[in-house]
Amino acid sequence: MSIRAEIKYKIMKDYGAPALMALQDFKRRKPRPIPEAFGPPLDSNKRLKEILSRHYFLSRYARGVNKVAWVTSGAPVELLRAFDFYTIYPENHSALVGAKKQGADYCSIAEGSGFSQDLCSYARIDLGHMLSGKTPAGKLPKPDLLFCSNNICQTVLYWYKAIAHELNIPLIHFDAPFVTTEQTEADINYMAQQLQDMIPILERVSGRVFYLDVFENILKRSMETSRTWGAILDAMKAQPAPMTIFDAFGHLAPIVSLRGLPVAQDYYHILMEEVDTRVTQGIGAISDERYRLIWDNIAIWYKVRFLATFFAERKMNFVTATYTNAWAETTGYLNVKDPWNSMAKTYGQIILNNNLKHRLELMKKMIKTYSVDGMVMHSTRSCKPYSVGQFDLRKAITTDLDLPAVILDADIADERVWSEQQIHTRLEAFCETLEGSKHG
Amino acid sequence: MMIPNRKEYLKALANSGQKIMGVLPALYPRELLWAFDIHAAEIWDPPGEILHANAHLQTTICPIVKRSLEFILKEPDIINAGYLFPHTCDSLQNLGTQVKDLIGVSLPVYTFYNPKGSFNNTTTRYYRDILQNFQLSMEAVYGPLAPDKFLAACVLSHKIDSHLMAIQQARMTDHLSLNNAEYFKLMRAQEYLLPTDYLSLLEQVDILDQPGESPRARMMVSGILPPTPEILEFLDELGVSIVADDLLAGSRRIPKFPMDAPVSPLDYLTDRFFILPPCSTRGGDLDERLHHLSKHMNASQAQGILFDIVKFCEPELFDHRLLVKTLRGKNYPVLTLETELENHISGQDKTRIEAFTELLFEMVSP
Amino acid sequence: MADLYFAGVDVGSLSTDVSIIDHSGKLLSETVIPTGVNGSEAAEVAFDSAIKLADLSREVITAITATGYGRASVAFATGKTTEISCHGVGAHQLFPKTGTVIDIGGQDSKVIQIDSHGRMLDFTMNDKCAAGTGRFLEVMANRLELDLDELSSPLNIEGESAPISSTCTVFAESEVISLLAKHTPREHIVHGLQRSIVNRIWSMVASIGIEGEVTLTGGVAHNRGLVVLLEEKLGLTLNIPENPQTVGALGGAHIARRAYQSSLELGPN
Repeated sequence: MSIRAEIKYKIMKDYGAPALMALQDFKRRKPRPIPEAFGPPLDSNKRLKEILSRHYFLSRYARGVNKVAWVTSGAPVELLRAFDFYTIYPENHSALVGAKKQGADYCSIAEGSGFSQDLCSYARIDLGHMLSGKTPAGKLPKPDLLFCSNNICQTVLYWYKAIAHELNIPLIHFDAPFVTTEQTEADINYMAQQLQDMIPILERVSGRVFYLDVFENILKRSMETSRTWGAILDAMKAQPAPMTIFDAFGHLAPIVSLRGLPVAQDYYHILMEEVDTRVTQGIGAISDERYRLIWDNIAIWYKVRFLATFFAERKMNFVTATYTNAWAETTGYLNVKDPWNSMAKTYGQIILNNNLKHRLELMKKMIKTYSVDGMVMHSTRSCKPYSVGQFDLRKAITTDLDLPAVILDADIADERVWSEQQIHTRLEAFCETLEGSKHG
Repeated sequence: MMIPNRKEYLKALANSGQKIMGVLPALYPRELLWAFDIHAAEIWDPPGEILHANAHLQTTICPIVKRSLEFILKEPDIINAGYLFPHTCDSLQNLGTQVKDLIGVSLPVYTFYNPKGSFNNTTTRYYRDILQNFQLSMEAVYGPLAPDKFLAACVLSHKIDSHLMAIQQARMTDHLSLNNAEYFKLMRAQEYLLPTDYLSLLEQVDILDQPGESPRARMMVSGILPPTPEILEFLDELGVSIVADDLLAGSRRIPKFPMDAPVSPLDYLTDRFFILPPCSTRGGDLDERLHHLSKHMNASQAQGILFDIVKFCEPELFDHRLLVKTLRGKNYPVLTLETELENHISGQDKTRIEAFTELLFEMVSP
Repeated sequence: MADLYFAGVDVGSLSTDVSIIDHSGKLLSETVIPTGVNGSEAAEVAFDSAIKLADLSREVITAITATGYGRASVAFATGKTTEISCHGVGAHQLFPKTGTVIDIGGQDSKVIQIDSHGRMLDFTMNDKCAAGTGRFLEVMANRLELDLDELSSPLNIEGESAPISSTCTVFAESEVISLLAKHTPREHIVHGLQRSIVNRIWSMVASIGIEGEVTLTGGVAHNRGLVVLLEEKLGLTLNIPENPQTVGALGGAHIARRAYQSSLELGPN
């Protein structure tokens, strides 16, 4: 590690980052007008923006101080934290690009280089970034290591493989066998052993030694953070819900990409407090909550504001989602006393790595406990594990629970995949059904 | 050399009381099924119009998955023991649970995971474990496995592999007098013939002592499935021979090098799995894939390569870009076709194929 | 060589073109007629017309290469070659330093890499959909109630052109409708459409790479506005043939000539 790099990093951490936050704060002095349909915005939004901006900002100076790892959203990052890797989550970065409606731009770079348009847009955006260096986050550090797990999809393996080859850096893949009915002992042993096998490589790349007690502390922190996140999501059972799932899409960034770090743990305490206060005071995310909805699949990042407004104006609030729940659902399996097996259980049973019977039961449970009146399913071109089976899930739910449901064909981050007419027609029809149904 | 028609053959087999399991692509311990007297009928691209599957699957899902679901929804009589979904990709993974848990079929649905790592203690131990778990799930229905039958199945598999390797080698060096259509019909017959019948068929293949006539142009093909019979016939008309392949339904399911005769079935199957050629569906290393392609191109003196990509096939498409870039960089002509597995070549694809062969004919041979 | 003549017959989905050259490669005549519903008939008519123009008769034509979508239906052809090879050879004849050919036809577009003899080295085609082809412009012209000429002029617009993000012609048309409903100035929309085509072409070119000079062929080469934008995007000047539509037929004629000359060199057999 270079001394100069360390000093630079420290200066940026102690002075540069706060200065940047102050500047952003100054720029934000004039608040954006909030449509009437919404309740008061969350105060925590400010802190959220700060910690994410700070993380991206400091990442530029991380090289030379810590090794940099690009990580997938379902990967057991706690292991990397034990080696002080500075982590970047390309999925989070791609979502950011998508939200800024720049997805097509980055995708075109990847497509121009020979990647098919039929591939996941998170991957195309990330590959477009890698090939051009472009990023809305200022400047991203090149990784020293790639760390992925196929517990969210097999695509990440193909994608990260392409990056590993292009940048000539090591790729560590955590192979998580799909759960057909139950996890078997063989599955758990396999995953637990893989984690332990990774230690020598991680030591070599990071130049740090593995200490079990350090790792256990990180696990503890991660568990606590996930539990808090779960409690925040639970609070949305209140009527009116203090938050909307569209808010939650933003607020999940720390649990995904900063999990295991004190900053994420602290952040969710702040958010939890604010959410609790709103519940106590009956403050809702939208000013008049008449209908409560569930969202299935990842967000349509380039249309979050549009959809939030559309539904809020019709007094509809999204109070739960399978996506945001994913980082809370399996935390209960973690056990510091049995770290390897428990991580295998936690990470191996992530919703997308689990069978559709489990998913259907989970969705039904969420619909019941959150008093949901209707369902919107985003059928995304990019994500096969999330989208294949949705037609049958929808049918099962509408039949068994007599619940109105609509499917929107779009994408996570490629704004070209959007048919204005089709979406509007479907949304209007759904609203009519909902308003006319027994739930209305 | 008569190769029986698939539909008729399987019908006769089912009528005779043979247990038949419908197996989705791609890799699975078929020797274990054989040891239980279960015949594996592979389902890759059932022909016909897709109607009912569209009610369950989005438009951007690959035709292998769509056609397979269409087939399953018909509840065909020839499948009587159940369906097996080996783990190959996201779409097939989800199709398995969709069929089993949401749509529902009257037959048992099994799965088999294929580990995505390369050979090491952890992956081999896991593979042995899942083989044993699969054995247990079969025993639960069919009673205890006879160890000698398991070994016999591995021996049979070993013999088939040996013949396939020899035939593959013969093809590369023009020691085989089969045209493209005949060659791939032979390759694909393993998807439905009983292994004993398939071995007999392979034993009848005539490997020439001297190389036969050299084709006008030599091409390699890479992808999941061989090109459709129509395309193969068209290539035969044009005088182009596919002399080597990198196909999941072809050379990627044959070990890279000959193995010793099996002694312990579990050891044999585990070793065999890990010496299969690299494949996009198992996270195969890109350098290894390039090496494998180059090796075959050199051995067969292929002048160019055709990537016949199944539409929406993510594993293939991700790898495709680098493979094409590298091959083009070495001045190998490359043609990429996208297929929806219909036995009909569009005018556009005919033009592409013809233009590509015009390119190959113009080349000075190396 | 005695007076020998060679012809190329390009039966496309929209037009059928014929070029006649002599043994030295000199162009004698060219005709372009709509293909209509019968390619075989169109080929006959176009061929007869070109012969008349060149003041020749059918008997003296030594070899005829048929190309294009309907090449199989040209009964009187002595050889058939794809339009990809033909465009490569044709472009090379007109601009000998050509290394890359961009052909934007009515229904498909292609990028062809050729060597110093006009022989094809690599190619890519966009023929699965209308986006990036002449058809796209036709559909949009219709929607905007402009004729194609009005879609052709280089535009100096103030401010940003209206971005058309859809990759599909049908959806792009819906976008245009929405833009018109929002009273977006027509010039901005046209500019956005031209940009859209240029981006499509650019990604095809990027996948093959640019070598040597770049020659643009196909009817869309008449669209000056598009040419300007394409040159901007590629960062170079394009060679534009006087008759961009008949390059395929011209190439076919030269291929017929070369094939005949090779057969002489090889002797009988």
